[in-house]
Amino acid sequence: MRCPRNERAMPEVVAAKPREGKFNKNAARRVRVAGKIPAVVYGAGQDSVAIEVDPKQILRILHSESGHNTIFDLNVTGHPAAKAMIVDWQYEPVKDTLLHIDLKRIALDKAITVSVPVRLIGTAIGVKNEGGILDQVLREVEIECLPGDIPSHIDADVTSLGLHGVIRVSDLPHSGSIKFLSAEDATVAHVVSIRAEAEPVAAVAAPAEPEVAKKGKTDAPAAEAKK
Amino acid sequence: MLMPKKVKFRKQQKGKRRGKAWRGSTLSFGEYGLKVLECGYITDRQIEASRIAMTRFIKRGGKVWLRLFPDKPITKKPAEVRMGSGKGALDHWVAVVRPGKILFEMEGVAPEIAQEAMRLAANKLPLKTKFVQRPAIVKAAVAEAAE
Repeated sequence: MRCPRNERAMPEVVAAKPREGKFNKNAARRVRVAGKIPAVVYGAGQDSVAIEVDPKQILRILHSESGHNTIFDLNVTGHPAAKAMIVDWQYEPVKDTLLHIDLKRIALDKAITVSVPVRLIGTAIGVKNEGGILDQVLREVEIECLPGDIPSHIDADVTSLGLHGVIRVSDLPHSGSIKFLSAEDATVAHVVSIRAEAEPVAAVAAPAEPEVAKKGKTDAPAAEAKK
Repeated sequence: MLMPKKVKFRKQQKGKRRGKAWRGSTLSFGEYGLKVLECGYITDRQIEASRIAMTRFIKRGGKVWLRLFPDKPITKKPAEVRMGSGKGALDHWVAVVRPGKILFEMEGVAPEIAQEAMRLAANKLPLKTKFVQRPAIVKAAVAEAAE
């Protein structure tokens, strides 16, 4: 089952200011100190523009139901307003604050490629009765569709999945408006059995040092070729 | 204990631990993880102790991924030996970690069990860490709490 995008939500309007001067680390850090984040907007056959945006607004979009696939109005001072979406974002590894985002102008009548999260619904039989673990391998699938048809997520029902059962991309609900770009035989989720922890073997002493790779080229393949 | 099967050189120089872990700083496999907040060395024994603490707590309930590998050899001279006469013998292996690195990941257990397992694992480590989970799970937990 696939849920359509939440159309009832208020369309977000992101106000941005073009950046001027140098576009180096120093300038980017000054933008962050001022409470904004550096960003770039490109696409729709127009020139790219370096801008600065409010990180709170961007985080609100990223944490919304439609996530990074949200289409919003972008108002850049001195440039015509355009529909845009977030295509790339970078987090600081320790503080988890936004560092930079890439925005792309969207033409509403042209199909685009987006990644949509896969949501697993229900408890698998293999987990409930057979003691397995549900392992979600693919958390997002790549699809191609019109911007208005982007689903917030794709639901996959796993209730009938037994031990070693697999759900593949081909098992996800397909519709005419969406074209799946991920490989059809790619595993989305499977129920795996839990391996029992091996008892520690005290008698077998582990080698103290690993093998050291020999210097130079090994002439074994060359000798074989000569023969 | 974890160690490489084959190495190019038996001994290494100390190196530096500057900067942050720009790679390996996001959850890749599981729903929960343990992120390190300081730089330092984590030895093969500490990794093994953490892994055992985690897997014993979750019993047969979940899956654990190790996102670090001790690939740096540390040497040590014997006790009461004068300086000089070359570098010491191989003593143990360490993983060099920088702030932001995800050390372990876990899946298939409830959030509170994962958090407790990660706390037990963190107690075996010499560095400050924090528990992390995927944003979707955070949102679901918040929604459930609100209901």
